[in-house]
Amino acid sequence: MRKKIMFYLLVFLLAFAAGCSSSSDSDSAGASNVPQELTYATTSDAVGLSPIDTNDSVSSNVIAQVYETLFTRDPETMEIEPLLAESYETPDENTWEIKLKEGIKFQDGTDFNAEAVKYTFDQFMDENRAAPRASLLAPVESVEIKDEYTVVIKTSEPYGPLLAALSHTNASIVSPTADKEGDINSEPVGTGPFAFEEWAEGDHITLKKNEDYWQGEPSLETVTLKVVPEYSTAVSMLETGEVQFLDKIPAEHLSRIESMSDVEVQTKPGTPVYYLGFNMEKEPFNNPEFRKAVAYAVDRQAYVDQLNGLGVKNDSIIGPKVFGYDESAKDAGYPYDVEKAKQIIEENGFASQKVTLLASNSGSYMKMAEIVQSQLTEVGIDAEIESMEWGTFLDTTSEGNFEMTFMGWTNSTADGSELLYPNLHSDNIGSSNRMRYSNKEFDALVDESRTLVDQEARQKKLQEANKIAMEDAVWVPMNHDVVSAAYDKSVKGLELDPTGEWKLYNVTRE
Amino acid sequence: MVSLIVRRFFQLILLLIGISFLVFMSMHIAPGDPASIIGGPTASASDLEAIRESLGLNEPVLVQYLDYLSGVLHGDLGYSFQTNQSVADAIVTRFPNTLNLAIASMIVAIIIGVTAGIISAVKQNSWFDVSSTTFALAGISIPNFWLGTMLILLFSVTLQWLPVGGLNAPFYTLEGIKQLILPAITLGTGSAAMIARMSRSAMLEVIRADYIRTAKAKGVRQRGLIWIHALRNAMIPVITVIGVNFGALLGGTIITEQVFAINGVGRLMIDAIAARDFPVVQATVLLVAALFVLVNLIVDIIYALIDPRISYD
Repeated sequence: MRKKIMFYLLVFLLAFAAGCSSSSDSDSAGASNVPQELTYATTSDAVGLSPIDTNDSVSSNVIAQVYETLFTRDPETMEIEPLLAESYETPDENTWEIKLKEGIKFQDGTDFNAEAVKYTFDQFMDENRAAPRASLLAPVESVEIKDEYTVVIKTSEPYGPLLAALSHTNASIVSPTADKEGDINSEPVGTGPFAFEEWAEGDHITLKKNEDYWQGEPSLETVTLKVVPEYSTAVSMLETGEVQFLDKIPAEHLSRIESMSDVEVQTKPGTPVYYLGFNMEKEPFNNPEFRKAVAYAVDRQAYVDQLNGLGVKNDSIIGPKVFGYDESAKDAGYPYDVEKAKQIIEENGFASQKVTLLASNSGSYMKMAEIVQSQLTEVGIDAEIESMEWGTFLDTTSEGNFEMTFMGWTNSTADGSELLYPNLHSDNIGSSNRMRYSNKEFDALVDESRTLVDQEARQKKLQEANKIAMEDAVWVPMNHDVVSAAYDKSVKGLELDPTGEWKLYNVTRE
Repeated sequence: MVSLIVRRFFQLILLLIGISFLVFMSMHIAPGDPASIIGGPTASASDLEAIRESLGLNEPVLVQYLDYLSGVLHGDLGYSFQTNQSVADAIVTRFPNTLNLAIASMIVAIIIGVTAGIISAVKQNSWFDVSSTTFALAGISIPNFWLGTMLILLFSVTLQWLPVGGLNAPFYTLEGIKQLILPAITLGTGSAAMIARMSRSAMLEVIRADYIRTAKAKGVRQRGLIWIHALRNAMIPVITVIGVNFGALLGGTIITEQVFAINGVGRLMIDAIAARDFPVVQATVLLVAALFVLVNLIVDIIYALIDPRISYD
């Protein structure tokens, strides 16, 4: 018995040694026949693969390869263009008649037509299904089939951002057959360039090329999304070639990635915005003078300098890549001016005011809190940091149990109405309007930006609303994001969207 | 022996019901709403309400608990709030990874720990003893997070001998063993250090015992003395440490799984806690508790096998 155990032990040790000594020679593969495979590392797993039933960025990364939307935003011009739609008309301001492209099939062979669109949106708005992003289509009253390739969307009131909403990944069109007969949340079926192959939950998701894709088949044969929870591990994997693609680079990892010889880094001004916000229902944060003093006291440039180029300073709440932005708003906030801050503090008796900065312990929020804390101390405000785990943070802020806090907004439709309405309109106090900001004039402008259908008029309303919120200093924008990706040099044709999303249709490996 | 096992089994059931109640209540009392995590910061109040309703979170907590308990007693662990997948499936796919990792770490820990402990005891106060005691202290103190990252940088990135992360090849293949080496060393060091300390002190006590002196006087050779006469008697406290450590390893793989991108139960649990995915948290905690009790039972049985003086009847 003992001999047997010793024998197995020996075998095990030998196997260990063999494992160690056979060094890899996989990197000698010739450049001409690089496999058309791409592995992307994600820090968390997708929640689900159905656009109707999810609302998180990892799930969106998969959904955006498998499904398609009626409209899409051109990443360069930021204009909305038809994708599965052919064209649209608005016979009156509550009616959108959308003509669909013909001859497109879902990956399961089902025809893409008006019925599929109606089915998808009906499911999206069905209360029993409880779609997390149902609010995207909240003003939609009905979706009717006019003929096989025409749908008519009726809204209860004019809804200007409809096209932006329809270009949102969560408004992707699903195969009705697949949804009725199976679970598209685990086995998705869309019209996109990649079809679902396998999901080993918590480990990886594999997609394979859709050979019958209507715009011609993609170059990549397979795409794998590998779950690597630790970003530093993912960076090591990028270095050894175990993965070829990462995104959302944290500032502290950028210099290591940039030092790798076989890795390319892509950065681009993006739509996400990060801000310092005030609880507008508590003293003295509801006092505009106090907020102004804080805005004067916070050196946003000093914070942005720490982001290694992964963020830009811009005073405007609506960012430069978002519909409704106005160049003149860029420096129209309260500039960094310690003297002015001190003066306001003295005049209003805010000296030695105690404040608590609430920060979630994820992302860069703690860094923001530390910088703001030291700058507030400099002007005589006694700031303390309270950090919280994300789930608790979301609850605490939506209940209004905070004084000042830090948050961000990804802006995945890149439309200003979708930023101002959920975050700052008084309709949403108690849920997504966490600062509990309420300003009638602002509300009216945002309402108009949502109900007008004329895009130029919408732009004007958004610009005006943006100015009011800036003057009220309800948010002090800490930075506007620079979206980023790092990938192996053999990866060509990868184009980041300003929302941070990406599509792999045009990607090849050489 | 049989009565011991039966008794322990009933204790286990009571223990699990108690734990399930505590975990259930603490998850509900703790701040953080599953619906607001599923909905994200964008969700409107009506979105959140619809999600809560669909998850059954609007029922009184006690009703929810009794529902859950009756499900578990019928073998139904429920469905994940986040993914809507069966919790049992989620655990079945991940548990083998955690078990492989824990066993491999234990092998590393026993090989290093017992060997170092015995040599240290036999050659007490030698340079080997001093350095192994120092290493043992370091092994207990070094955080797994740091050790894992350093091992990756050295063996995977610089030397390129071993893969950085992942555990998807079967453990009996070369690829599987390569994937296990670094995580096993990372997770095993702490236990190795504890086992080394315990083996050393147990061994020191035994080799000073009268019967060893007698054996020596009778002319038994040193090697036989240590490996046959002393070791077996020194093993009982060591096995306790090994047992407790193995139980702890099964529940303590979280950080190692995180660093090495291993899809195991530890990560499932930590992700579920962050997402307030109550059914998954419940099931993983119950699993870890049950395993801990089970490992302890096995340790008790091994005692009786090693030491005939111990009897449970």
